[in-house]
Amino acid sequence: MAKNITVALAGNPNSGKTTVFNNLTGARQHVGNWPGVTVEKKEGGFGHRGYNINVVDLPGVYSLTAYSPDEVVARNFILKEEPDVVVDIVDASNLERNLYLAVQLLELGAKVIIALNMMDVAESRKYKINVKELSRLMGMPVVPMVASHNKGTEDLRGTIVDVVEGKVPADGAYLEYGKDVEGEISRLEGVIASSPLARRYSPRWLAIKLLERDEEIVGMVKEGAHV
Amino acid sequence: MMPLSMASRGETVRVASIRAGWGFQRRLADMGLTPGTQITIVNCQRPGPVVLGLRGSRLVLGHGVAHKIMVTEV
Amino acid sequence: MSSEDIIQEAKQSLAHLKKVRGDDAETLIADARYGFISGLMKDVLQKPSVERRTISDKVDKVIINRLLGIPIFLALMYGVFQFTFVLSVPFMDWIDSAFGWLAGQAAGIDGWFGALLADGIIGGVGSVLIFIPPIFLLFIALSILEDSGYMARAAFVMDHMMHKIGLHGRSFVPMIMGFGCNVPAIMATRTIENPKDRLVTILINPMMSCGARLPIYIMLALFFFSAHQGLVVFSMYAVGMVIAILLAFIFRKRLVKGESGHFVMELPPYRMPTIIGVLTHMWERGSVFIARAGTLIFAVVVLIWLLDYTGALEPIGRTFAPIFAPCGFGQWESTVAVVFGVLAKEVVVGTFGTLFGIGGGIVGGTLAFELGWSALTAYSFMIFCLVSVPCVATLGIIRRETNSWKWTGFVAAYTLILAWILATLIYQIGSLFV
Repeated sequence: MAKNITVALAGNPNSGKTTVFNNLTGARQHVGNWPGVTVEKKEGGFGHRGYNINVVDLPGVYSLTAYSPDEVVARNFILKEEPDVVVDIVDASNLERNLYLAVQLLELGAKVIIALNMMDVAESRKYKINVKELSRLMGMPVVPMVASHNKGTEDLRGTIVDVVEGKVPADGAYLEYGKDVEGEISRLEGVIASSPLARRYSPRWLAIKLLERDEEIVGMVKEGAHV
Repeated sequence: MMPLSMASRGETVRVASIRAGWGFQRRLADMGLTPGTQITIVNCQRPGPVVLGLRGSRLVLGHGVAHKIMVTEV
Repeated sequence: MSSEDIIQEAKQSLAHLKKVRGDDAETLIADARYGFISGLMKDVLQKPSVERRTISDKVDKVIINRLLGIPIFLALMYGVFQFTFVLSVPFMDWIDSAFGWLAGQAAGIDGWFGALLADGIIGGVGSVLIFIPPIFLLFIALSILEDSGYMARAAFVMDHMMHKIGLHGRSFVPMIMGFGCNVPAIMATRTIENPKDRLVTILINPMMSCGARLPIYIMLALFFFSAHQGLVVFSMYAVGMVIAILLAFIFRKRLVKGESGHFVMELPPYRMPTIIGVLTHMWERGSVFIARAGTLIFAVVVLIWLLDYTGALEPIGRTFAPIFAPCGFGQWESTVAVVFGVLAKEVVVGTFGTLFGIGGGIVGGTLAFELGWSALTAYSFMIFCLVSVPCVATLGIIRRETNSWKWTGFVAAYTLILAWILATLIYQIGSLFV
């Protein structure tokens, strides 16, 4: 019996998610060049090393805070459907801004793989990226790719299965927010621990979201938190 | 100190403060614009939107938003 | 601890942080994240000491220039429709004669089946399929604009004007996408954060003339405006856009009041569109058009043929015809075309094909010499088709995206009334001069 796993493709708008999705699944979804080409999630699948891998291409987001209806789709999927693995498509030529989402996924405690896309563009700008060091510091596997030329797809497939099997750690680095914020986080963590929500999400993450005044999490807490 | 909407093309400035309501402030932060960030004005239409270079990407801000961001020259 | 207590504790934390650090907690958290990232970047990324200004920035100096931006946009749009129009005519002629020959063969078959085949299926569906070349070329041109990264530039260039009508640049991208098809265009409004901005952007989108309306313009322009065909077709798109802008202004002032959202958008670098990408895109959208011709259009056209064959169509047309008499096209044939055109705009061309026979020349000739149409009538008819009720599919997506029957009904009603008023004005005022 093949085992089923669900992989979500997340990433900033225009980072090449849909191209990676097409490469992975053999689909032919349209790829444009403006933020917002994908406004609803699309599903496809492939088989690899005895797994049935269901891939969900999500609308692009800059963070896990949702503002517009397309972003709500992406965020809710990651938060509520809890995919086995999240592949964060990162534009290598725009690393700093793109890693912001990766950091938020890391906070959430999801199993994350960074697909470092558009390596060709980064190289043409003479950027040198130390992939090993990036992987070590982020605490997640990093797969360099040129999705537009279908490079790196096999590596990504293999890495997805490796992460599911626990062969490669993908739990993420520990991020500290500075003394003052950390103080408040640990105080709130203690308060939240008794909430039913804490059974589903880590108290630390909930505390951070409360400090960010995340409307949805605040709402969930108020409702008494049946998710 | 001046509003970002008054900076001219080619100038490099540092964000001093953003007064745009907390929800929108967080939106800007998500896109890389936080107090202390160094930005370059790549293009501007006055009156109209500006194109900023920050953290390696290009961001368009409407005139109204640009007016609420205070910057200092670097 | 109760949920209310947790919220209270969180509020205390926020107040405390504001007091000791002077910044909002979300700013502190975002700073910590970026701090972590920039620390990491030092070890991970080596950039060349002097970064060249990218090619995109250089191109943008011209493309989104304050003075040149809007003229360049208009020139590009004009180019899109010229490209579509000029390149497609020879292909259309070729398909036209192929279907004409087929219809001739089918007409040789005796009885009702021959008539169904010749008039209903080949005449009706065939006359829609003739317009595959311009529709596919239009999709190619729009794909090139989209894939190159120009869409975001258009949003930038138009932001100032959009601001004056109570929206912002973001709303402009769905508007241009409407030139292809209103359905994906209305879905694309999901990227607009402010719900009021989004609603108005949806409400005006039917004014953006979609690919399915193009056959009507081409068919009539080729016959009635042979000297200025390209310009007349382009004018439909321009008129639609002007109406959309005026409506947005009125809706935002009277109907959907309130602050407009802020305009923030990433500007992607230009990319060279790939042939495979553009063709994929063309096929993705174009195949919908072909599929519709084979299903919905086929069914409606056969129904029209059946009603005509049994003699029921003319009375139906004559019942509604007086409504359109002030617009100049109060004949029962054009009335039927317009009424059934509510289902899908291709039906208008399909109806003429069924009733008059296949080919732009034959349809135009019949309209001119048997129904007495002038160029003015044709233009009034084109305007009516541009503005009146978008197709059923568009109404369906408006219903889904606004989650409201009220707004869906509003779109159906305002487009019909406005179309009638504009067509009447054009015909009546034009008649004074012609």
